[in-house]
Amino acid sequence: MSKLLKTVSVINTVDTSHEDMIHDAQMDYYGTRLATCSSDRSVKIFDVKNGGQILVADLRGHEGPVWQVAWAHPMYGNILASCSYDRKVIIWKEENGTWDKMYEYTGHDSSVNSVCWGPYDFGLFLACGSSDGAISVLTCSGDGHWDIKKINNAHTIGCNAVSWAPAVVPGSLIEQPTGQKPNYIKRFVSGGCDNLVKLWKEEDGQWKEDQKLEAHSDWVRDVGWAPSIGLPTSTIASCSRDGRVFIWTCDDPAGNTWTAKLLHKFNDAVWHVSWSITGKILAVSGGDNKVTLWKESVDGQWACISDVNKGQGAVTSITDSQQNEQ
Amino acid sequence: MEKLTRVSTISGRTMFCHLDAPANAISVCRDATQVVVAGRNIFKIYGLEEDGFVERLNLRVGRKPSLNFSCADVMWHQMEENLLATAATNGAVVTWNLARPCRNKQEQLFTEHKRTVNKVCFHPTEVNMLLSGSQDGFMKCFDLRKKESVSTFSGQSESVRDVQFSIKDYFTFAASFENGNVQLWDIRRPDRYERMFTAHTGPVFCCDWHPEDRGWLATGGRDKMVKVWDMSTSRVKEIYCVQTIASVARVKWRPERRYHLATCSMMVDHNIYVWDVRRPFIPFATFEEHKDVTTGIVWRHQHDPYFLLSGSKDSTLYQHMFKDASRPVDRANPEGLCFGLFGDLAFAAKESLMSAPPSVGDVGRKTYPGGDRRYPIFFFKKPDVTEQFEQVSSALSVFESEAGSSVGMDWFINTAQSYLLSGKPFGELCEHNAQVAKRLNRPQESTTWTMLRIMFSEPANPSLSSNHNLNKSGNLPLVNRKLKEWIKDVFLCAENEETEGSEGQAEYLFGDAELDDDDLYSMEHDNQAEEPEYLLPQEAFPLRHEIIDHPSAPEPVQERPESPHVSGSETESTCLTSTESFSLISVSQLLFSPHLPPKFFCPIVKEMLCYYAEQGDVQMAVSVLIVLGDRIRKEIDELTQEHWYMSYIDLLQRFELWNVSNEVIKLSTCGAIMCLNQTSTTLHINCSNCKRPMSNKGWICDRCHQCASVCAVCHHVVKGLFVWCQGCSHGGHLEHVMEWLKHSKHCPAGCGHLCEYT
Repeated sequence: MSKLLKTVSVINTVDTSHEDMIHDAQMDYYGTRLATCSSDRSVKIFDVKNGGQILVADLRGHEGPVWQVAWAHPMYGNILASCSYDRKVIIWKEENGTWDKMYEYTGHDSSVNSVCWGPYDFGLFLACGSSDGAISVLTCSGDGHWDIKKINNAHTIGCNAVSWAPAVVPGSLIEQPTGQKPNYIKRFVSGGCDNLVKLWKEEDGQWKEDQKLEAHSDWVRDVGWAPSIGLPTSTIASCSRDGRVFIWTCDDPAGNTWTAKLLHKFNDAVWHVSWSITGKILAVSGGDNKVTLWKESVDGQWACISDVNKGQGAVTSITDSQQNEQ
Repeated sequence: MEKLTRVSTISGRTMFCHLDAPANAISVCRDATQVVVAGRNIFKIYGLEEDGFVERLNLRVGRKPSLNFSCADVMWHQMEENLLATAATNGAVVTWNLARPCRNKQEQLFTEHKRTVNKVCFHPTEVNMLLSGSQDGFMKCFDLRKKESVSTFSGQSESVRDVQFSIKDYFTFAASFENGNVQLWDIRRPDRYERMFTAHTGPVFCCDWHPEDRGWLATGGRDKMVKVWDMSTSRVKEIYCVQTIASVARVKWRPERRYHLATCSMMVDHNIYVWDVRRPFIPFATFEEHKDVTTGIVWRHQHDPYFLLSGSKDSTLYQHMFKDASRPVDRANPEGLCFGLFGDLAFAAKESLMSAPPSVGDVGRKTYPGGDRRYPIFFFKKPDVTEQFEQVSSALSVFESEAGSSVGMDWFINTAQSYLLSGKPFGELCEHNAQVAKRLNRPQESTTWTMLRIMFSEPANPSLSSNHNLNKSGNLPLVNRKLKEWIKDVFLCAENEETEGSEGQAEYLFGDAELDDDDLYSMEHDNQAEEPEYLLPQEAFPLRHEIIDHPSAPEPVQERPESPHVSGSETESTCLTSTESFSLISVSQLLFSPHLPPKFFCPIVKEMLCYYAEQGDVQMAVSVLIVLGDRIRKEIDELTQEHWYMSYIDLLQRFELWNVSNEVIKLSTCGAIMCLNQTSTTLHINCSNCKRPMSNKGWICDRCHQCASVCAVCHHVVKGLFVWCQGCSHGGHLEHVMEWLKHSKHCPAGCGHLCEYT
């Protein structure tokens, strides 16, 4: 049997008909819809059922390049948030098959770079990070009213990415003395132009800086808090323009001690990290236009299990040497 | 070439100086050494030195300067270096001669406009010709040798926002209007415009002729757009359109860069943007220094693309260096990546990067629609990577995980659908699930199920009984340890095996471990001969109680009769071949009775479940939890279980496996999970008197203050079973209504409704 293991292959290229660069692509909760956003100010939604892609909506409303999109949990309806260079965050909602603006947030003084919905169990709320250095947390209080909390100077020069902790913070359950159900503390992680990864938590309705994780030597471009499906540890991935991807883990239920492990040093800037649904596989995309998939082996080392090269269509393999490293 | 050498003498840095008052407009002299700043309360000339601005001259003279000094616009003559013109807010057009020996440099004053003059413009080649455009809707052309205007042009519309002489066509000028129109005039024909077209919705605040292309005119409007028009054709054609973030107050083509222009806004936005018109969505560069709106922008030298001067309402004058500009595209993320639910990946990347090797800057190019790919000549002379900025498009690909790979989630769905969690005896469930896992090429899970079956159910075949006696007190810890090791081995090897994708490894290991350690099997086979054989009941869950119910009375080991000897290979086959294992479970028996309390394996199983959960396979953890039921439930603390259940149910719902999810909820033993099924069940009831919806929970309708649940037959309040008609809201005691309906089809309340009780 061949040692080459195919893990992913290209099925098709989606004709997005975006007129400029695409900055983000996000699949919804059920994996049946794909939202893309582009410099051309538009957000497009595709149905990706049965291997084909059909354009179902083209959302126009931003006045600048749209950097990121995020799907809310379907229990609140079909809701999509988008953020843009025009300093706005727009929350879109589908009703009777048509998408409309549900809310427009204009509280930032500069480009809004990242949006992320919090865990649905605790309501409909959204974090957005901006180039003005601030992070806003918008919470829907029903009737189209949104409650806004802003963290100023979260990152000097700007915040590039935000990601929420899963609803159940691992460890908080397992090590709990019996009886009391732990109160969920809302937490999220952010990455910024100050080369820092910061953790935030809500205490008495106020957002406070919880941890400051230093390891990167250039702008942090993306952060991803791994889903905690049965896992006892909290895991965060961060990537940076310095080419490094770090995996941060914390076993301590209080969330105070985080240890960094270098996943890999790439030759070029790394733009994105994305966790698989079980939180066991990490996809990383970098400036060399490659996507690599990483998995932690039994001995705790991260190994590349696949790489996807755009130019060659579908190339996926583990070389013998890589496998031996496992 | 001569001009280029002169350009090279311009040097400097990003710098600024404070003004006494907000600026309305700025203009630079021809040799780029001085700049004039004009505003309501300021009119000064600054020298542009290497390391800063130096005030050279204050043109506001007199103790109480007249309104003629209050400038809306200023222009420095590009040929006559001592000549300036200003547009005053009181409607005056003033010229200034710096060569005048006295302090007051005012040369001529034209007071022909009735309202504010928005713009003045010198003819690019004709020294004495000056044009003005005013709020009163008129444009006037002045000959500076005469006291009065030589011609007046009526736009026949609202106020004139901008007037600009064409750079290439001697007689032509363009004027932009409040109502969205742009007019083209021939200076010799004041009676009628040459052409007119609607450029924007809302006011057109500015226009600028391309310095090289004679036909190109850029216009900017309140509608936040910059449009580039080709005027050389018989019909004016829009060739580019840039959508900016705020209304466009000023537009200036960038020297030496055919497709670049700079804009600023007079509202909301304080930044200066430089656009490449071919990439109309994202600014090529921005200057973000000003704290209030930018009112005037001008390129320092007509052949130098690197220096931009700007004045602002924040009372500062800036010189911006192009190398210090911020480049939004550098901050922009060129890639999109998303891990889909099914292990598929959506990946969007710049198209140019895909085929070309990675390189610095945005070298990717794509033919833009209707455009022309020729580079202006200077691009060949100076192939400056940082100056290349063209439209880029991205390609979006969806990668699907290969069947059977570790990335995909097919296994999850298949497993969820195929696993049996209840409805059969324990052994059969395990066996079935082991088969499912095996079929899906998941040997580790398959082995686990088989192990569980062996651990918790009873080997049926008495012939398999081992003749090994277990010295309980002596061997137990050892067994325990070995069992742990063994389990660990299986896991480790199964993991390897999984990656290698070969089958049969588990069997080998299983056998191997078994051969190494007979004690292990001795436990399983001990004592069984004495136990009476019986069939497992066919109900779903009696098994849970079986072990608990069984008395764990110790029985002397020695009393057992000798069992037939079993060789290692035989044991192996019983464990793993389906035919025999079926016979195993059909007649089941308590596995370890007396000496090994059922809890014996629990710590190990618990460890195993945690291991699976840690591996992200919460499915296995929950499935085992359900199948084992009470055998293991008490070993694992409630919150962990709840966490596993919640995670698993969440996953199932994401995959839209509602039936499985519901089954798991039903079978769960956690209170918090079981109530999930009841959370969204709501019953809406109407009051039987007023037929309005009942809003409170009590017996009394809060609208008619009557008791809502009165039996229509006996007129007593119903406590207990209440049946009512959904049509008329009347009803009563179940037995009364049933009795009533035997005789009548009509509502017992006498409302005349033909009630239907289903």
